[in-house]
Amino acid sequence: MCARRAAGLVLAVLVVLAGAGCGGPASTHHKPGTSHQEATGTAGALLDARDESGHRLREVAAGGAPRVELSARPDSEDGWNLHLTVAHFRFTPESTGGAALPGRGHAHLLVDGRKTARIYGPWHHLPATALATPGRHTLTVRLYADDHTAWAVAGRPVEATATVTKGDGPQDAPHDGPHDGPHDGPGKNGEATHPQPPAADRTVEITVTGSTVEPAPSRIEVERGARIALRVTSDRADTLHVHGYDRTTPLPAGRPATLTFTADRTGLFEVETHGSGLVLTQLVVR
Amino acid sequence: MTPLAHGVGSQHDLPISPFYAFAGAFAALFVSFLALGLLWSDSRFQGDRSGRPLPSAVRRLADAPATRAALRLLGLAGALFVVLHLLLGPDDPARNPAPGALYVLLWVGLIPASLLLGPVWRLLNPLRTLHRLLPARHPRPLPPRLGLWPAAAGLLAFTWLELVAPEPTSPPVLLAFLGAHTAVHLIGAARHGDRWFAHADAFEVYSTLLARLSPLGRRADGQLVLRNPFHGLDATPPTPGLVATLCVLLGSTAYDGFSDAPSWITTVQTSPLGRTPTATLGLLGAVALVAGLYCLCSGAVRLADRELPHPLTAFAHSLLPIALGYLVAHYTTLFVTEGPRTVMVALGTDNALAPAPPLTPGGLATLQVGAVVTGHVVGVVAAHDRSVRLLPPARAVAGQLPLLLLMITYTLGGIGLLIA
Repeated sequence: MCARRAAGLVLAVLVVLAGAGCGGPASTHHKPGTSHQEATGTAGALLDARDESGHRLREVAAGGAPRVELSARPDSEDGWNLHLTVAHFRFTPESTGGAALPGRGHAHLLVDGRKTARIYGPWHHLPATALATPGRHTLTVRLYADDHTAWAVAGRPVEATATVTKGDGPQDAPHDGPHDGPHDGPGKNGEATHPQPPAADRTVEITVTGSTVEPAPSRIEVERGARIALRVTSDRADTLHVHGYDRTTPLPAGRPATLTFTADRTGLFEVETHGSGLVLTQLVVR
Repeated sequence: MTPLAHGVGSQHDLPISPFYAFAGAFAALFVSFLALGLLWSDSRFQGDRSGRPLPSAVRRLADAPATRAALRLLGLAGALFVVLHLLLGPDDPARNPAPGALYVLLWVGLIPASLLLGPVWRLLNPLRTLHRLLPARHPRPLPPRLGLWPAAAGLLAFTWLELVAPEPTSPPVLLAFLGAHTAVHLIGAARHGDRWFAHADAFEVYSTLLARLSPLGRRADGQLVLRNPFHGLDATPPTPGLVATLCVLLGSTAYDGFSDAPSWITTVQTSPLGRTPTATLGLLGAVALVAGLYCLCSGAVRLADRELPHPLTAFAHSLLPIALGYLVAHYTTLFVTEGPRTVMVALGTDNALAPAPPLTPGGLATLQVGAVVTGHVVGVVAAHDRSVRLLPPARAVAGQLPLLLLMITYTLGGIGLLIA
């Protein structure tokens, strides 16, 4: 009798475990109160004008209106660090989706006029891969209220711009300043204030076709501190991941993507694709 | 997660440089042949009859019902913690401490814990506690030939999950494994009583075997004693399935070593069978190779003495230190980097970063080769003592030659895996 009861108990435990297991991970997208629906707040006056994504502008008086300035500093490893200097404004990611309150909200980042990220604080990292092509790109940050209306003064949204230049290789040249003038070419901002990331010491080219990795997985021996550029072409969209350094970059289908980083930890690290789960190569850092 | 990486952890140890490999291989060969000529000719190890009793206060504390209950509670709390994190935590080993708790703190952590304190999992085992909570009944005796075979199967299943399964850290997979493990052992224990765990629970058998090399142990009269680990090792009961259990331990650790090699990665990724079946075959092949070599060589001992009753189990205990050497060489870095990270994640640290390995590549290589060679030496000494006890004196030296060759093969193989 008791054995049957024990078995019953075990079965119950299993059912509970299995049920919980099949539920899958809870989604973190759209927590309650963070939908994109516009709530009507009382701050300022809604205008009929809309931004590119259809959000209405919210006009406030010039005195005490939110202000923003943007500077883009090159990151030593990849892309740029954007710094938003705001006045009369607070980042309130915790109440996004709520009513518009004066001087609160978040920012949007637009690359060449297309929204690419929502910014919830004064610093934001923009990877070089966020820029599709080499050449000059305009970055815009615009301040939004919690209800996703854009703060505006005199009918114009509160925003700041900066331009950056993406090089062919890892040497991405920055141009910063809230209202950037016609700077030309890299290096004009001065090496001292904006040190250029050094060129890669080692460039590794890998092509992935289906489950075939060309060249076949091998070990790449590098000295600690070397800069490594991984140039990977995948026949389908995927994500490149360097274990240990935890660096990832999206791989567009059929086009090469480059991930450049400094190998500053010794050990044996695997470079893999996340989607297809292939090991592309191993880095031996001594 | 790639199916080829460790269950957890983002870094592998650097391949050791040839200098350390040659030094280790030379030391192993030298010690082996020295042992043949110089070691004693009468058996010295007394198994579980040896040992100096601990002070009575320590013994009373260790055997106190309150201590036992506290340990059971600790084990139960740990199990509950893991299961709740698997049920409710995020499906991301960087933010969920449960996979690390299982693969690093339990699986690897049991090695130092058992070596220092004895068979700790027997005291912590939450399944034993659950079994005690169920109503008692009259257990049937265990089939005599069962031995440790269920534990060998359980170990193989767990190492398969860690090294081969496509998603070794995903909570549903781990929950399914733990659920099946719980079900099998609670049913087994309900039929056969709590001695079922000592034979069938993979973690308990693993911990109890490693504890054979602990300076803490129990004498045959039940006294808690401090003893020479060689005596403890000698006392390993020659149970059926002991060889299989040790071969799974050795073979799976060896597979973990060569599964990092680029040539094996290419084989798995391009195999027409698919990745998981190929990796499964690799794991089974490694275990079969280790077991086949052992059966061949220990069978050859019979050439020296045709009357030797059980040549396979008679020398199985000498594989244990070799397996321990492999385990230490392969999992030390994982334990000292992923262990603290798992604890940090469990304490709620966001974005916990594993600490950098504390040893330089040279120091780590020394430790790895040292562990493999030390395991080899201890194994050679244990096998020597057993063969002078079992074999006629005239043939004792010749009789242990096949075992010596076997151990040299394992050790050179183990060092080879560290280079690869």
